[in-house]
Amino acid sequence: MLCKLAWGNVRRAGRDYLVYLLTLTLGVTVFYAFNTISMQVDIAGIDEEGLAQVMGSILGDLTYFLAGVMAFLMVYANNFIMKRRKKEFGLYQVLGMGRGRVATIMALETVIVSVVAFVAGIVLGVGLSQLMTFFTASLFKTQIANFHFFFSVHAFNLTLACMLVMFVLTLLLNLRAVRRTKLIELMGAERRNESIKTRNPWIAIAIFAVGVVLVGVAYYRLLRDGFPLTATDSKLQEAMNQFGITTAMVTVGTFALFWGLSGMLIKLLQSLRGVYWRGLNMFTVRQLAAKVNTVCFSMGVIAMLLFLAITSVTCGMSIANVMNENLERYNPVDVSQTYVYYTPDTLDYYKEYVNPSEADRMVLADTTVDLYPAWHGKGKSADNNDETGKKVDIADVAGEHVQIDSYLSYPFGGSNPSVSAGEMCKTMGEKLPKALGGSNADTMGLFVTPASQYNKLRQMMDEEPVSIGRDQYLLTCDMGGELGDLYTKYMAGGHTLTLGGHELKPATDKSDKDTAAIANSAMGSNPGTVVVADELLSQLNLQPYSSNLLVNYKQGMDVTKADESIKYTLLDDLLVDGKKPGSWGVFMTRSEMYTQAAQMNGMISYLAIYIGFVLVVACAAILSIQQLSNVADGSRSYRVLAQIGCDDRQIRHSVMAQQAVFFLFPLAVGLAHSFVALKVIIELVSIFGDMSIGGTVGLTCAIFLAAYGGYFLVTYLMSAGMVQAAIATRYSE
Amino acid sequence: MQTTHMATPVLEVAHLEKVYGALGNVTRALNDVSFTVNRGEFVGIMGASGSGKSTLLNCVSTIDSATSGTIRINGQDVTRMKQTKLSQFRREELGFIFQDSNLLDTLTARENIALPLTIARTNSAEISTRVQDVAARLSISQVLDKYPYQMSGGQQQRVAAARALVTDPTMIMADEPTGALDSKSARLLLESLEALNRRLRATVLMVTHDSFAASYTSRVLFIRDGKIFTELRRGDTDRREFFDRIMEVVAMMGGEGSDAL
Repeated sequence: MLCKLAWGNVRRAGRDYLVYLLTLTLGVTVFYAFNTISMQVDIAGIDEEGLAQVMGSILGDLTYFLAGVMAFLMVYANNFIMKRRKKEFGLYQVLGMGRGRVATIMALETVIVSVVAFVAGIVLGVGLSQLMTFFTASLFKTQIANFHFFFSVHAFNLTLACMLVMFVLTLLLNLRAVRRTKLIELMGAERRNESIKTRNPWIAIAIFAVGVVLVGVAYYRLLRDGFPLTATDSKLQEAMNQFGITTAMVTVGTFALFWGLSGMLIKLLQSLRGVYWRGLNMFTVRQLAAKVNTVCFSMGVIAMLLFLAITSVTCGMSIANVMNENLERYNPVDVSQTYVYYTPDTLDYYKEYVNPSEADRMVLADTTVDLYPAWHGKGKSADNNDETGKKVDIADVAGEHVQIDSYLSYPFGGSNPSVSAGEMCKTMGEKLPKALGGSNADTMGLFVTPASQYNKLRQMMDEEPVSIGRDQYLLTCDMGGELGDLYTKYMAGGHTLTLGGHELKPATDKSDKDTAAIANSAMGSNPGTVVVADELLSQLNLQPYSSNLLVNYKQGMDVTKADESIKYTLLDDLLVDGKKPGSWGVFMTRSEMYTQAAQMNGMISYLAIYIGFVLVVACAAILSIQQLSNVADGSRSYRVLAQIGCDDRQIRHSVMAQQAVFFLFPLAVGLAHSFVALKVIIELVSIFGDMSIGGTVGLTCAIFLAAYGGYFLVTYLMSAGMVQAAIATRYSE
Repeated sequence: MQTTHMATPVLEVAHLEKVYGALGNVTRALNDVSFTVNRGEFVGIMGASGSGKSTLLNCVSTIDSATSGTIRINGQDVTRMKQTKLSQFRREELGFIFQDSNLLDTLTARENIALPLTIARTNSAEISTRVQDVAARLSISQVLDKYPYQMSGGQQQRVAAARALVTDPTMIMADEPTGALDSKSARLLLESLEALNRRLRATVLMVTHDSFAASYTSRVLFIRDGKIFTELRRGDTDRREFFDRIMEVVAMMGGEGSDAL
């Protein structure tokens, strides 16, 4: 009997339950599809182990986050439905049904809806995940070799567990609601005049003003201080604290803004008498005010979520863009090998903390070493470190090659750089780019490299050599962006550099970034190098920092095979008089870098889009539910308006205006926050490359806004339908 | 004293029929109802639950459409009006008072009263004076800045009456206006309506099943099973005597007690 009643209820209260059902289904779909990503990656033909691991760990954390968002959404939707069904549950009790049985009916209703939503959600989720595989493949730039239908048991179990937890949670909440509510309240839920929590408008205005000031100051602080990423260790803690204060200010400010919004709106509009006392304006504003009071918290949450979504998407995709666009420049040769020399500091460190006996085998490098003849070792297998017994030598594959030595700009045994970005800025009377402030890049200073090596690389890249006289210098940097601009400006200004007592003039009027890479890398390898004539360099006796061997394979050689033959090599120690002057550093093939970049790019875009999408959809769904329940609550008011002679068009306009405020105000605040945050992020990232926001980012944002706008539109159309139905109902029976 | 002013008809209802339901399950809520209300009259419509009195009011107030017959208000046939014209007509010609006052919760009394004027785009200075005037007439000036939930039931109902009156409508429609009120508040409201009718010549059409409320009117139409059963005119008798005559008709129709709830 109870089952029948519950089933009947679900069918009859169809429209109310529809919102709940849709929300739940949406949640299940997204949750399931999200958790199949590792499987999608598999099918999309992305076979990088490291990537799968990184993805796995990031996804693990995100799943909790997503579950949190889902839980919030469902509790919200559940409250909506409970509010609408109060009277009916009251009626059962009046008719003599015990509370236990009422609770059972309600639980059954929840079960029915949850099961339907779960099944529908899983079906949609399975469909969506198949589609997303193609999306994944295109983002990661791979081909789907062997597409087949797949179903993830892991994702299914996870979704089921999550649903069960949420089901129990909502059920407990509902039972508590039934037990705690008095019968009279259940019955009268619709009839009673709603008591309006009025706030003193002057206090509201004051709070609103506080909100504006807090947000404004937070913006100012952020623009002034930037993100605390580049500060050195000693200042990092303080910078983090300051950043924490800024974050707290913007959060509190945002909530204050929404708290005071209604009072501010009323006062503002009332002061415009002609506007306030015209048409339904007064009604619209009052209706807004009454709701804003109760939903200011969720509006604040939504503004912050939208802010996160917009920022993460834009930022993630832009970084990925930078990487992609400059990949060619960052990777000039087939393969590169770095060798880093010991400095007095490293030696001391080894002696004191690591291994004194090991330190005895190390020696301070007073001159660079030739890497090409030293690059040989024993082959090992790809999946573990077992030696294969094969001997590997770079000469087997190498065609053209060059070694680029980087010296520090101070003599052997010294410690203060004579050339640094900070000094350059001082000379030009400019401010140091924010991201460089207090960072290592500045304290270490620029590198120094001999012109012959630089020109040899240029020759390998089919470029004319640059002639650099004995009293001349050239600045190079492959990071582009602000740093490259700084160097170009310095040279164009004709400023001189002093190196070991020699005054040098710029060789050209422009710094070089296109042939400036000193190794293959993802985001640039050369933060700044002074190229000087070889004969000058040999006189200066500078401290060697590192050497890079840059090799192109023999002409006509298969790149994949060549990569395979040298990729897995245990290099022999490089010894000078039986001692090590340094250690082997990064070995990087160009093809590996390209694959990594494509995958990194794919992953960042993927996560950014996914997180962004989930957040936007969640926000829109919450707003939608809120608005629909507002309209349902207000149906009596709309009927009254119709009765006293207000035409439908005016009423619809009022509904539209109310919903526009609820949808657009959090979006506007979120956008404003994002705008400021992105400005700072762009400043930071532009040190490494020319970051631009456009193209894919624009498209993605457009899709998000379309989803958000779509929710707005659907909500409005549904509301208009509800209002129409309310008006059409005869006012007394 | 009204007889001298009863020349012009404000409302003419002729052969009105209203049928609910579809084939096989037809309810005839109104069956050939005809009557006339003249300017300045205070007319009561009495009947038991299900007698068709509310349907009649719904049709007359243009909220429901008639199946056949004509309803003329101020000479205009409202059964032939288009939807958009209807809302304008309601706005300009009619004022409503309901059983539950139907004030908007989110608006103050002042704003509730002003609503019909703002919808009609009256200028704000005029709105202000007209709201003050009507509030003074119904003695609710002191609650103008309160919200509905801060007022008593009687005050709410008088604010609703003020909202109905503020546009100077041709006719005021009241549907069980005292239904939700205690006897003291009910009397106050009825006296206000009576005074409006006497002093300002407002035409009032009131649906009720309460003989006491009906005794404030100048004429009562009794409806039973969708037809006009009979009609009582107060003439020059005092209210108490009129009340007794109403009770007699009610008793004859089957007793008020049976449908008091």
